[in-house]
Amino acid sequence: MINQLKELIKKEMLILLRDKQTVLLLFLMPVALIFFLSLAMEGVWADKLTGRKIQLVIQNESESPKANLLAEKIRTNKLIEEVQRPAGMNDDKIFAEGRAHAIITIPKGFEDSEKPVEMYFDPVIDAGYKIAARSLIISLTVEVVMGIDNLEMVVADLVTEKKKPNKEFPTPLQQNVPAYAIFAMFFIAIPMSVGFLKEKKDGTLQRLFTYPVNTNLVILGKIVPYYIINVFQFILMMLVGVYVMSHIISFSFNLGEHRWHMVPVTIVVAAATTGYGVLVAAFAKTTEQASTLAATGAILMAVFGGIMMPHILMPLMMKKLAMISPMYWAHQAYLDIFLRDASFGDILPRLIILTVFAGICFYIAGRRVKWI
Amino acid sequence: MNALDISSITFRYEEASVFALKNVSLSVPDGRIQALLGPNGAGKSTLMRIVTGQMRGYTGEVSIFGTKMPDRSALLSIGYAPQPISLYTSLTARENLRFFGAMAGLKEEQIGLRTKNLLERVGLSDHAEDQVATYSGGMQRRLNLAAALLHSPKLLLLDEPTVGVDPQSRNHIYDTLLELNAAGMTILLSTHIMEEAQRLCSSVTLVDKGEVIFNGPMSGISDLEKFFLEKTGRGLRDD
Repeated sequence: MINQLKELIKKEMLILLRDKQTVLLLFLMPVALIFFLSLAMEGVWADKLTGRKIQLVIQNESESPKANLLAEKIRTNKLIEEVQRPAGMNDDKIFAEGRAHAIITIPKGFEDSEKPVEMYFDPVIDAGYKIAARSLIISLTVEVVMGIDNLEMVVADLVTEKKKPNKEFPTPLQQNVPAYAIFAMFFIAIPMSVGFLKEKKDGTLQRLFTYPVNTNLVILGKIVPYYIINVFQFILMMLVGVYVMSHIISFSFNLGEHRWHMVPVTIVVAAATTGYGVLVAAFAKTTEQASTLAATGAILMAVFGGIMMPHILMPLMMKKLAMISPMYWAHQAYLDIFLRDASFGDILPRLIILTVFAGICFYIAGRRVKWI
Repeated sequence: MNALDISSITFRYEEASVFALKNVSLSVPDGRIQALLGPNGAGKSTLMRIVTGQMRGYTGEVSIFGTKMPDRSALLSIGYAPQPISLYTSLTARENLRFFGAMAGLKEEQIGLRTKNLLERVGLSDHAEDQVATYSGGMQRRLNLAAALLHSPKLLLLDEPTVGVDPQSRNHIYDTLLELNAAGMTILLSTHIMEEAQRLCSSVTLVDKGEVIFNGPMSGISDLEKFFLEKTGRGLRDD
């Protein structure tokens, strides 16, 4: 019996691994997605979330002591990076070429309060970014005009910021590595269901049942290889994230204090993905139907589940809708480990939901599947 | 003892309005090559699937060398080569035989030895490590037969074993079947090739519309095709 199971698994593995398209789909696709999307997100993350420096062109037309002081305060502020205007380049061209976010002009007459400081922003600049830059320039101008050395210290008793490490927002790698690992793991449903239907169509499955083979053994022989592939997919994606991508992009990939909790999460996620695979196999009537159904389902689950768009950036309604996707629970379980140093008790509810999803899939498939 | 006893088998597919098999009974004595003939949709393949344990939900009885189905241990006495080429095309011939040998419960050494012998017998030794997808139709048919023979069954069920193959492969298969029968193997051969049945078989069972309409020796039939058409009619069968 053990030998039969061994041969069933070996057969399935050989068929799977000799199909180059499947190997590309399961291993290369997620690596490519992690690579390119992490690079693409790096800029967005830097701008919006971690406060990339505001790039300013400073034009001091006054050259008075007050104007020079203001120009110096702007220039030396840690949130600002001064950009020199290329010779002959007008404001619009500077923005069009993305050389600066804003142009600050200190006009003649500023020293006598006759003319105000002018701020000209790139028209496509993010609104939040614009507000932040505007507030900063206003504060610095008030300091110069009022003769205050540091406005922030003056108002420290009135307004203060409480700081703690950001444990909610993932870096691009923390977001994308588990996200696309999960995405690819769910894509196992394609070779799984197509393989099953092809065996039925070719008659090899029927032939299998002309031998004294236990049906449960055949089921195990169909599930275990894909389960193993799933685990390898996750390990590969993690290795890519930790050892390759973290050297390519500027964000680190912190795995959290309880990184070994990835083991139970991956075990449960693999059960959910193989459950989804058998469900598709049980419902599809042709191999074409199976591949379409499996891919469409996986993509929809990814769209809803915070894989393609980070869950934290979703509007409230979408955040609630995300909960219908098993990918959401899987992804959040990994983020719990990476960002929130979650204990096993913390991730357990998510694991239970994924286990229930897997159980329902296996139950429905078991009742519906026709082996012959 | 008969190799195969089928007694009053009745079967209807799910959602079908007519019975695929109606009260079918037949026996295949040990050591014989018996033809199972009938037009398309007569019920030959369904009968073979029932005998090989693939179908449930029938009434009646099937015994293989005295062991009643659904005792699945009886399946080890049967070798079955289905009409479709039921092999894993991305595996090699050796890998296919190894897999089916393991399913039949053979041990590692038995699989190795029998695979070698069978590949020689069906003329595929030089292609043992080639993927089945690269084989011609005739080579695939021969391997399909080899897979059925791997566990040395006493009763061989063949469902159109020479369909779509060239005369060389066909004759090779005929010679192999005659050798196996001479060595004591019982064979039930389902075919549409009358010449094949007449050449190989000593008795014939004719089924039509799910019923046995003739059962007797081949010796009394001079022109099997004419006999077949007389019994089943000349009207076209679309099912």
